[in-house]
Amino acid sequence: MAEMILQIDNLTKSYGALQATKELSFEVRTGHIHAIIGPNGAGKTTLVNQLTGNIFSDSGTIIYKHQDITRLKDYRRARLGIARSFQITHIFENLTVSENMALSIFADNGHNFRFWRNSLNSPIVKQKLPKALARVDLTERAASMASSLSHGEKRQLEVGMALTGAPDLLILDEPMAGMGPGGTVELSKLINTLKGSVTILLVEHDMDVVFSLADMITVLDYGEEIITAPPSEVRQNSQVRKAYLGEDA
Amino acid sequence: MKPPLRKMLFISLGAVLLLILPMAASLAGESYFISFFSRVLIYAIAAVSLDLLLGYAGMISLGHAAYVGIGAYVVGIFFYHSSAMEPVFSFPFVLQGSENALLVLPLAVVASAFAALVIGALCLRTRGMHFIMITLAFAQMIYYFFVSLEKYGGDDGLSLYSRSTLPGVDLGDDVQFYYFCLFLLFGFVFLAWKLVHSRFGLVIRGGSNNQRRLQALGISSYRYQLACFVIAGAGAGLAGGLLANHTEYVSPGLMHWTLSGELMVMVLLGGLGTLFGPVLGAAVFLLLEEILAMHTEHWMVYMGPFLVIVVIFAKRGLYGLITGEGNSNG
Repeated sequence: MAEMILQIDNLTKSYGALQATKELSFEVRTGHIHAIIGPNGAGKTTLVNQLTGNIFSDSGTIIYKHQDITRLKDYRRARLGIARSFQITHIFENLTVSENMALSIFADNGHNFRFWRNSLNSPIVKQKLPKALARVDLTERAASMASSLSHGEKRQLEVGMALTGAPDLLILDEPMAGMGPGGTVELSKLINTLKGSVTILLVEHDMDVVFSLADMITVLDYGEEIITAPPSEVRQNSQVRKAYLGEDA
Repeated sequence: MKPPLRKMLFISLGAVLLLILPMAASLAGESYFISFFSRVLIYAIAAVSLDLLLGYAGMISLGHAAYVGIGAYVVGIFFYHSSAMEPVFSFPFVLQGSENALLVLPLAVVASAFAALVIGALCLRTRGMHFIMITLAFAQMIYYFFVSLEKYGGDDGLSLYSRSTLPGVDLGDDVQFYYFCLFLLFGFVFLAWKLVHSRFGLVIRGGSNNQRRLQALGISSYRYQLACFVIAGAGAGLAGGLLANHTEYVSPGLMHWTLSGELMVMVLLGGLGTLFGPVLGAAVFLLLEEILAMHTEHWMVYMGPFLVIVVIFAKRGLYGLITGEGNSNG
């Protein structure tokens, strides 16, 4: 049996009467691009937040690399190698592109109580920064303030920041949201080049992207898992068609 | 002119002006200016330390005067015990009073830093409006604590009969005291500059903009914010120790929230999130106060609208206007 990086068992989260995730169980295989799809309100973002530790689950367990992380705080999970991008772009708008990247490079290199040397002159940054910028095609924008980037560039920066720590599990929460067609192609290409080197959990609305990239797809509806299967199988599934297109389809 | 050039020009011009000020003042026969500008330098240290919190770390502290006051009282209390020839305390060990600046100023810094550590550790459990209110509440608590200290003058405060002593330097001399303050201001601004551009500074600045992103990167911001709060408190303590020396008088008024507010105004006026801005802000604020107060006791009537105009039209305060820098951190 292939190695599983993430095992989710009976995960539940409710907000009052609303069950955002309902006894959810599935596994993510190491090295896969595993997509999570589902209509609006299916509980995709809640699930992502449960996995990254931004929200604690009511019940159920999350096993990451054979370790129970259900109760770990977000920054601890990040140190274990779970990196994420947010649905709404989260970068440091008040820092330059290089500084944004440097900060994420520092994040997994010990403590940050270094008061003296200029952050960008740090050996670890000098070593990793050029590659990190080149990987997401932002070398020319290095000195710009992050707030001045275009929407697509901010996305690239965010993905780039998630990648600096060489994470084992990369969670991308709707990376294509709000991007023009050109940007979508660029980012799909980037994700495709990462295939194999990092396990990716991809939450996405854009079906073309999902079906072209994913090895495995989990379909959610009203917080419940409908199916976890390879793309070809999901395409044929009648329940999925119903969830997306309504009763008559 | 390009912004970096204007910035360089402004900074060097400012430094030169401050360096030659005592000579110019004595040539003009206005030696009063030397004492006045010593006060500006001291407030500038406090304002720069507050800007580390407000402008760089995004922590709105409305209790910064507490650390200024604690620093001032350390100098005052040690002086009091030194002239009364009795120890400051005799348990668990005997600590004698002192007038030596090499002892009391570092002690003022340490005492304020320690107070900031304890208060910050509690305040940083809260965010936003709650943080503002709890920093204010602690400062007022300390204010009333010192008001109730009858031994040290209570409401009336303590008078020092001379300034602290420093080997080789006569702090009692206004010119020498001025250069002593200037030296410390330069030193503090340099330290702060190194700090905000360091790895630590990057975490602090990042956290002020996007706490959640920082956590997602695996950095828990609490320790860094607390360290920053302590460093800012230490800077305020240094300013307090100098202020006690300057006026040769300490009173609980130094801890009152109105002083916290004035420091905040200096930062906003000069330029939030810049290091040289608060220095300019302190100078402009105190000069305006001085000039306006000559004409009317209701000087705030004029200061208020001026501040409003600056804050509305200049995002980075007067410093931003002069250097033409809209929004970079520098």
